[in-house]
Amino acid sequence: MTTPTLTPHDAEEALAALARLLHHAALGASTRAQTEGPGSVLHLLGLGIHVVAAEAAALVGPEADPYWPAPTQQDPMELLRAAERLARTVPVDASTAGLSAVVVGIGDLVREAST
Amino acid sequence: MMTAEHVDQRAIGELLLDADAQARQLLLDATGDDARAMLRTWGEVVQAAGDLWSALPVEPGGSPADGATLAQIEAMSRAMHRAQLTHGWPGEGPTDERLSALTDTLRRAGELAAGPGQRVRLATEPARADLRAARMRTMHTLYVGAHAVGVAVRQHVRDTEATTSPRSARARRDVPRGVDASVRLASMEQLAGGYVGTRYSLTMAGQHYAPPANSERLRQAVATWDIQVHRTLASTPSPANLHLAANAQAALATTGAALLGAATRAGHVDQDAYTQRLAPALEHTQQAWTQSAGRWATLTTRGDRADPDLVHAAGELRAAAREITVDRVGWADAPTIAGRIDLTQAAPIIHQALAAAAELACVHRDVVDQEPTLTGPARVLAAWTRDSLALAVRDAAPVVAPVRPEDIRLNRIVPLTDVVRHTLLTEAEQLVDLTQTAMSVGSVLAHAPRDRGPADQAQAEAGCARCRPDERVGTAGAAMQHRPVPR
Repeated sequence: MTTPTLTPHDAEEALAALARLLHHAALGASTRAQTEGPGSVLHLLGLGIHVVAAEAAALVGPEADPYWPAPTQQDPMELLRAAERLARTVPVDASTAGLSAVVVGIGDLVREAST
Repeated sequence: MMTAEHVDQRAIGELLLDADAQARQLLLDATGDDARAMLRTWGEVVQAAGDLWSALPVEPGGSPADGATLAQIEAMSRAMHRAQLTHGWPGEGPTDERLSALTDTLRRAGELAAGPGQRVRLATEPARADLRAARMRTMHTLYVGAHAVGVAVRQHVRDTEATTSPRSARARRDVPRGVDASVRLASMEQLAGGYVGTRYSLTMAGQHYAPPANSERLRQAVATWDIQVHRTLASTPSPANLHLAANAQAALATTGAALLGAATRAGHVDQDAYTQRLAPALEHTQQAWTQSAGRWATLTTRGDRADPDLVHAAGELRAAAREITVDRVGWADAPTIAGRIDLTQAAPIIHQALAAAAELACVHRDVVDQEPTLTGPARVLAAWTRDSLALAVRDAAPVVAPVRPEDIRLNRIVPLTDVVRHTLLTEAEQLVDLTQTAMSVGSVLAHAPRDRGPADQAQAEAGCARCRPDERVGTAGAAMQHRPVPR
């Protein structure tokens, strides 16, 4: 067993961190798309990250903040990959029901961004 | 009772694809805690699959043995249900929602197969191949589903053994009955697996697929998005929802430009109209929506969550737009897009989207202007107010409502300050102007595939229903002049 076991509190904080990474990846993608111009295809990728970020935020309890503080990384692709790595450590159980859709969504976005 | 509005419009093939995906999803999420609820619900899944199988047309010359496998699985499922009643385990309790949703999907497919599906004639080989694919998909769903339930039951047995004494009542009840259930499920899985065998990909290749009817998906996604965003903003005009709404509108404007570019190169839209008026108008609305999205992103607070229905509609809008316009990581070229969608149908969809965007901009403006519950983080509002203060003094703007130092220190969630609301309102008014100009310019698209009807004419001249009188005059003027948007 290589995945470290997380306590319920850890899992909740990991979920919030995951949502923060995705939220700021979406903001970063949007900023980069603005730089590239209104016709940039990054606008669609940014919306995709935003949708997954909103799905992740919906899993976070009301006590945790799924938006702030901002992660230290700034590159949206790096943030997306960090989110993918972090998602591997979150256990799939009753407290994280619905996470699978987020994990699948992140995987699709990473593949979409790096194909 | 299901109303006409809520009838599932998907075809049998789409329902079966969804059922298969739901079963795979179940495999990802199955845990020991779910085992008892899953065991209570599994029988319904098998029964729905059996009803569907019986309702599907019989292939001419087919052997009665073709249905034997599913009949065996149904018999095993009934036997397992009787054993559950006899032993009182897993007993009464909640059902598994995911398996219930899977049951509903299979039942709907069964209804279609028993109704309109009976009119299908199996005279051609493609029709017979499609039928075989439907049966294969049904069996594959049972195969994956049985495995998922088995995984959950075995995990439950292990959890019980690990956490309770072997002599406890719970262990003496759950462990042997769980083992018994897992053996029965493994038998069902092996039977279904034997049917699937190595023929899955070969059989599924015969599935009927009609590629470029995709304009329907995009049309539906745009319409669904428009309805949902209005519902959401009417009930919960929060920064998280406004952020997502603006972001999706920006992406829709970008996609619209890409689609119209392809339609122009294919000769379905006038070249001058596109380069001189449509493309600049879409660019300007895109930039305005993006600016708005950025504003609401900064005002989102820790307890604020986007409406799940809005998230779903945005996801579907993006998927529908992306599958037509994107190739790998860039925009698809015009011939590729033309191969995916009838470009004569694209223009009216974008025309409707432009009209809806103008209306939504008015909703957005009204929210900023009239919604008293809008809030934001104190530090963001303080910084924004401070930055705007110089401009406010220069332009003699309204009185500034300061943010209290105590609120800033604790970064409390506070109502918007007058300065911030004033800035947002100014930008929202600009957004209304830009989207209405785009709608006016977009009226040329109504000519593309069909004659312009009186409703289109009236809409272009009258503006949207939420327009203020002065805005309506401006819209009508713009429609008549087809003026180029200043760059």
